[in-house]
Order: sequence, then C-alpha cells, then structure tokens
Amino acid sequence: MDNRIAIEGVHAAYGSVRVIEDVTLNVESGETVVLLGTNGNGKSTLMKCIMGIVRPSAGSIFAEIDGVRHDLVGRTTEEIVDLGIALVPEGRRLFPKLSVEENLLLGAYRRSARKQIGKNLGFCFSMFPRLAERRRQLAGSMSGGEQQMLALARALMLAPRILLVDEPSVGLAPILVQRTIESIQELKERYQLTVLMAEQNFSQAIRIADRGYVIVHGKIAFEGRSADELNNNDLIRKFYLGM
Amino acid sequence: MRSPVFFVVALVVGAVVFAASRYVENEYFFFAGYVVLQFIVLATAWNILGGYCGYVNFGSAAFFALGAYATVTIHKLYPMPIPVLMLVGGVVSGIVGFATGYLTLRLRGAFFAIATLALAVVLQTLIINWDFVGGARGAYVIRPNSFPLLGSYIQYLFGMMLLLTVISVAGARAIERSRLGYGFATIRDDELAAEASGVPTLRLKLIATTISGALMGMAGAPFPYYIGYVEPGTAFGLAYAVNSIAMPMIGGTTSWIGPVIGAILLGTVQQVATVTISSAVNLLIVGILLVDFVIIAPNGIVGLVRDRRIGSTTVEPTVFVLLYVLNLLPTIFLAKQGQAAQSIGLVFWAILFFVTYARGRMIGRVWLMVFPWIGAGLSLVPVTSETPVVSTVVLWSQGVAWLAIDPPTAVLIVSLVIQVIGMIYGAALERRTPAMTTP
Amino acid sequence: MNFPVELFINSMIAGLLLGGFYAAVTSGISISFGILDIVNIAHPAFIILGSYIAYILNTRFGFDPVLVSIVMLPVFYWLGAAVYQVYYLSFEQRGQEALRGLAFFFGLLFVTEVGLILVFGVDYRYVQAPYIGPSIRLAGFDLPLRMLVPFLLSLLLFAVLQLILTRSFIGRAIMAVSQDPLALRLMAADPIRIKRAAFGLSIATAALAGALLIVIQPVEPSVGREYIGRVFAICVLGGLGSLPGTLIAAMLLGVVESLTSTFYGPSWAPAVAFGLLLLTLAFRPSGILGR
Repeated sequence: MDNRIAIEGVHAAYGSVRVIEDVTLNVESGETVVLLGTNGNGKSTLMKCIMGIVRPSAGSIFAEIDGVRHDLVGRTTEEIVDLGIALVPEGRRLFPKLSVEENLLLGAYRRSARKQIGKNLGFCFSMFPRLAERRRQLAGSMSGGEQQMLALARALMLAPRILLVDEPSVGLAPILVQRTIESIQELKERYQLTVLMAEQNFSQAIRIADRGYVIVHGKIAFEGRSADELNNNDLIRKFYLGM
Repeated sequence: MRSPVFFVVALVVGAVVFAASRYVENEYFFFAGYVVLQFIVLATAWNILGGYCGYVNFGSAAFFALGAYATVTIHKLYPMPIPVLMLVGGVVSGIVGFATGYLTLRLRGAFFAIATLALAVVLQTLIINWDFVGGARGAYVIRPNSFPLLGSYIQYLFGMMLLLTVISVAGARAIERSRLGYGFATIRDDELAAEASGVPTLRLKLIATTISGALMGMAGAPFPYYIGYVEPGTAFGLAYAVNSIAMPMIGGTTSWIGPVIGAILLGTVQQVATVTISSAVNLLIVGILLVDFVIIAPNGIVGLVRDRRIGSTTVEPTVFVLLYVLNLLPTIFLAKQGQAAQSIGLVFWAILFFVTYARGRMIGRVWLMVFPWIGAGLSLVPVTSETPVVSTVVLWSQGVAWLAIDPPTAVLIVSLVIQVIGMIYGAALERRTPAMTTP
Repeated sequence: MNFPVELFINSMIAGLLLGGFYAAVTSGISISFGILDIVNIAHPAFIILGSYIAYILNTRFGFDPVLVSIVMLPVFYWLGAAVYQVYYLSFEQRGQEALRGLAFFFGLLFVTEVGLILVFGVDYRYVQAPYIGPSIRLAGFDLPLRMLVPFLLSLLLFAVLQLILTRSFIGRAIMAVSQDPLALRLMAADPIRIKRAAFGLSIATAALAGALLIVIQPVEPSVGREYIGRVFAICVLGGLGSLPGTLIAAMLLGVVESLTSTFYGPSWAPAVAFGLLLLTLAFRPSGILGR
C-alpha cells in the first residue's frame, strides 16, 4: 500500500510576513526525504502546514494513506493525525508532568492505534531500553537525549504511515544526534514508514536520506534527487561547509 | 487634563453637588445618596486592582467590614471624628490587603482571588468570635442627631463620603495616567513579559492591593454611624462583594469612568428598587447583569460606547441558551413583585430582545423576536400581573429559545410537549392552593 | 489535668469521616482547577444544586438521595459540558479567563445561590434515609452511619476517578491537556473536547457531593460559600492535579477542623481551612503530592 505526500505551490504567512513561497515537494512511498535549511527558512512552518497547524494561504497538500488520497488543506490537526500522519515536533513537546509510560500511552490515543498498543509498546521498549527502565519517571525530569527518544517512541505509538520529524537534533550532543538519526532509520525500516525530516545538521541527515530539498528564505533552492547529488552541490557547500 | 487640575475640578463638582443637595428637603435622599457614593468608592477601589492589574478580589466585603469594625472598636474605646476613623479604617484594611497580597501574589493570579474569597469567611469568623465588638449579636453605634453647621448628621456623613469619592476617583484617574498606571497595565496585559523587561511586578501589585484595600476600608469606616447597628452578617454582606465586581465590569474596567458609571447606574437602580423589591431579587438582578455584561459587552458600557461592538459569542447556541434562560429568571421573579418591579423587568426583556435578535439573524429567523415582545407586552398589561399568565408566556418564550437552537423537529416537539404538561401541572397546582395576595 | 484520650480519639474519627466527605466535595475542583486550570469558583453552587435536587426528589417521592444523585450524574455531566462550552467560547478562547472568566463563575455562583433562596427560602432543608440516625459501634467507638456512608461513597468516588484518570485514554488526555494542548492535538485528541469532558466530569461529581452534603447536614442556599475556602484549601494543600494528594489533604483538614471544634469550639472551625491555605501558599505552594 502506498503512502506519500504531495505538496504543490504552497504559500504561507504569519500576518504580513511571508514565510513560505511557492513550495512544491513530494515524498514517495517508503522514502526518507530530508528538508535541509538553516534556522528561520521555513522548514518548521512547512511541517505545520502539512499538519494543519498553520493554514497555507495558497496551494495544495495531498496525502495518500494506504492507497487512499486525502486533501489535507482545511482539515484539523486531529483529523490529519488520525489519517496516519505523525509529527515529532520541534522541541519534542512531551507532557513533562506525566510519566514516560503515560506519555507513550497517550501516543496511542488514536483509535486504530489502540489495537496495536501492546505490540508497539513492546517494540518501543525493546528499541529504547532506557525508556523501559524509566517508565515511571516524569518525562520532564529526563535528559535531552532520552526525551528525544521518548518523543520518537510516542510518535511511533500512533502507528503512523507517514512520519514527519522536525529538527530532531536541536539541543542534543553530537553523539546523541547520531544515535537519534540512526533510530529514525531503524524505525522507518521496521515499520515501513514514509519519512519527511526537517533538519539543519546536514552531515547527519544525509546519512539516512534517500534524497532531499534545500530550502532558503521559504523557497526550494535546490532539489537533490539522490544523497550524492545533495552531497555535491554548491548551495550545500555554501551554507554548510563555508566554501 | 492634568491630574491636579482634575482633582480641583472634581472637588468643585463635589462641592456643587453638596451645595445643591442642601436644598433637598427629603432626608431619604441623603441616605440613598450615601450608599451610591459608597459604592462608587468600592467600585473604584476594586478597579484599581481588578481593572488596572487584572487581579480579581472577591473579598471586598471583608475589607469594607474591617473598616467598619475598626470604627466599632474605636467607638467603644474613645469616640473620634469621622475623618480620623476613615484614616484608621484605611490603614487597617490597607495592611490586610498588603498581607494578603504578599502571601499570594508570587503565585498565579487565581490564588489571590481564592485567598480573598477565603479571607472574607475567616475574618467573619474572627469577628463573630470577638465579643468586644459584639460578636455574632452585633453592636449598636449611636449616631449623634446633629452636626454643627450642617444640621443633620446624615448630611455630614453624606458630605464626608462625597469627599472620599472625589479623592478616590481623582486618585484612580491620576494612577491610571501615571507611571504606576502604565506599570499596572503591563501586569494586566502580560505579567511574565513585564517582569522579564524589568517592571517590578511584585512591588507594583503590592502597591495596588494596599491602595485598593485601604480605600475599601475607608469606605467602610463611617458605615457603623450610618447604619447605627453593625452585625457581621450585614458588614460582610454579599452585596458588597458582588456589587464591587459587577459595577466596574458593567461600567468598563479599563478607565476610571467605568466604575463610576457602573456604580451610579447599579447603585441608583438598587436604591430605587429596594423600596419595591426584596433584597434577594435585587442581588439576583446584579448577578445576572454581571454575567450578561461579561459575555455580551466584555468592555462594559464604556466599551460599548467606544467600540460600538458587542461580544461576538452571543450568537453561539450554548451561549445564547444560557443568556436566554438566565434573563428569563428575573422576569419571573419580578412578575411576582408588583407593578413597579416590572419596569426593572424591562431591562431584562430588552436583553432578551437583543439576544434573540442576534441569534435569529444568525440562523435567518429574526421573526422569533415576536415571542419576547409578546412576553414583555403581557407583563406590562395590568390584567396579567397575576403569575400564571406571565409564566405561561415565559414558558412559551422558552419554547422559542429551543426553536432558536435549531434542533431537529423531534427534539422541538418533545420539548414543547414537556412544557405544555408542565404548564397544565402548574395551573392545577395554582388552583389547588389559593393564589398569594401581593400587598 | 488529664489529657482526654477518648475525646481525642472520637474527635479524630469524626474528623477522618468528615475529611472523606470533604474529599468528595473537592474532587470536582481538583479536576477543574487542579488539572484543567479553570478557576471554577461556582463549583459549590453546583453542589448545593445537587443537594436541592436530592431534597426535592426525596421529600416528594421518597427516593434515596444518593440514588437520586447517581441518576443525576449524566444530567450534571451535560450541564458541566455546556457551562464549559460557554466559558471556552466567551472567555478562554479570547484569553480573558483571568478577569472576566472569574467574574462569570462568580456571577453563576451568585445567581444560583440567590435563585435557590428565591424559590426555597433560607430555611434549612434535610432529607430522610435509613442511614441517617443510627450508628454502629466498633471497638468501643460510635460510628454514625450518617457520616460513614458518605465517607465510603467518597472513597469509592475517588477510586473511580483515579481509575478513569490513569487507566483510560480520555483520562490520560485530561491529565495532559493543560500541559501542552498542541502536543495533544498531535496525538489526534481535540483539546477542547477533552476539556469539555473533564469539566463535565467535575460537575458530575457535584451531583454526588451535593447528595452527601444533605445527608450529613441540613442545607440552605448559602452553605455553599462556606465550602469555597475549604475546597480550594484542600486542593492546593494536596497538590494541584493530584487526586491522592487531595484525599490526604481532605482527611488532614477534616481532622484538624474536628480537633479545633472539639477543643476550641465549633465557631472557630471555618477559620482552620484558611489558615491551612495561607500556610500552604506561604511554605509549600506545590502541596503535599504536587507534581
């Protein structure tokens, strides 16, 4: 069954400040696509547009879930999540005063996720043994790396088809960034997810990406049809390697 | 206008009012006027904390009563002139205001509101247990019959309260336009941001609680001489707590004129109404107007005049039903209170017209307004002052309320059937018990 | 002078029973104020409303007050949901809950109280039930059923609420909603619906608490105000958002109040709650079991 996202000609603005201009982008079934760009270029806003948190002023966003096409524009966030699209938001946004386990169980709030709760919980704990150890601890009292694991695991509890990950590396030590990126790859393979990841850490993101886009000032500045193409383009050099 | 100039102008206005009042023959005018003035002070005092800073005080009655009981205490020890009593009452209530604020203001705003609510109960308990000031039995404070130069003592009290009113209103206006007022406004708008940008929020809030408490205490200080007999029940009366919130809310909380307008309107209506209406109905009216205004006119009368806009949520089904049912309540009770009371009922009919119109326009059925019109018309015709007719109309208008929610027809029919049965049952009851005769 | 041991223990027992009842009264506030952050000071008014409904159906038809309240649970639930809807649309949505929202609840408190006075007068009303009057003796101490039944029902209510909040999906969502509404939406839950359900739940507890109140003591419309200080004191003392904390704090307040009225006189009892509240706010604002 196919799960893909197709974004076409999307514009978005906060009041009179234009954040995204005419972005066209697609994620094919089973792909890992990265959205590269430094802070303030509109990566998060694009994610929010897909999730219905920010309403685009023009353009269309379609998602195909298990072979069924849905128009996402105009739907509420809850409806979009319920279709099977999960977002791991920037800053993780855990429920700090709930325990690790309660956070995970909340992830399975979605009706179709409740059926698989045992299986998914078991998988989360086997993949992140740390979470199993700390299941009774309050989420807010954990370290940044553990919180990122929990955020990923919580999104997984939703039993999504498409996973959006917004800036997973923010606030993490380099070794943890590496581990987080690897877990995303592992989750993807295990659950056959379609992944769209916004990230500014180019060298880490590129390790798991099938292909990617570079977004500059709200516009797609470069589309790399493969990891190699991304690796060897001038824009990336300019923005990331300072050459 | 600069604040000192305004103060002088207010003083002159006050003096003119006082001089003019000397020509009023009727002593009752001074008794009623005193209460209205007292409410202006209370409302203004409440607004300094509630309207300017956004901190709700539910314990106005406690601060008021503290001032009153300070006077009772002094009266028992060594009687002193009214201005001194006012100062003492102000100091006592100011200290309590400061202490309450100090204990709660570092927490979220709601804690302050809750603490003031509890404060009223506790201070009342303390006073009830304090035999020196009469405990639960209360205390008599004999008012002198006359006062040198002015003649009657009530005129003197009226004059003192007028002076306090001028001082507090001018003071509130001065605060509003000073650095202090701007500081208060930043707290109201976004306390965290204010604190982050260096506004000394805690100190400002303590200043506000102290000033507000002190003014309430000052308003309460002459009360024992006015009333002659103080007991905890009256001094801590609900009327003070609810009026001091309702008046600024109805007038408008963001400027000094709001509480004044609210207090004059509500205070006068209540003074006129107490003659014809029981005090419970009176309080019901104030409570319902409070709910009406916070929903329909969030910025009070001042806001209505300035923005010419009303609360947009009035047309939402649940909000509409709540407003409709609430505003029907007083029309039912007022109908039992005789002819004079029904003129006050008109206020509520007017609100009913308005909400029905707004909702009717929303769903394209403006004609539904005929039902409140019929209700209002019948309630004014002398023949229908008997309860069954009015309540019938009321019940039918309630049917309209249901209609306006736009439910499926089945729900509508069921609700109407229930109401008809209720009416028949009510009529049967009326017949069995002889109707109460209104005096 | 001898320390009156027996009097002391009796007073302790009475206090624990009273505290159990206070817990039932506070449970609703613990949800609305403790978890949802809605300062519903009108809660006691709903409790008194519950008392009067129990009173009417008890005197007219002889129904058991507690049974009446259980039948009324869904009615109160919908009433609460409707009140939340009005509150949300008119105040919360516009960010005006601090000032106007509070005034709104104050107005509701007031209108309910005065409305009840106008209909029923200020006379004390009471109900009749087989468990009002008799006592059972246990280890030499009297346990009046009038207190014991509410105590046990209150414990039951807490067990049910705690189960709902920690074991059900909607319960966990209720615990989470005030922490991060957007994150909750990312779990496919509508925060407004969750809050409405939670507020309905909190008002539903008022139906039961009202029936228990009129079983324990005769009720008149303004009795509710005496409970405002108590319920918020218990809620804060127990720690916002913690039901077990609420239960412990309620027992504590019950015992302290009971000891106060035994050894100093009943007229001092209302001041205890406020004293406790102020002490908590001053020294441990997060309460006993605050998270």
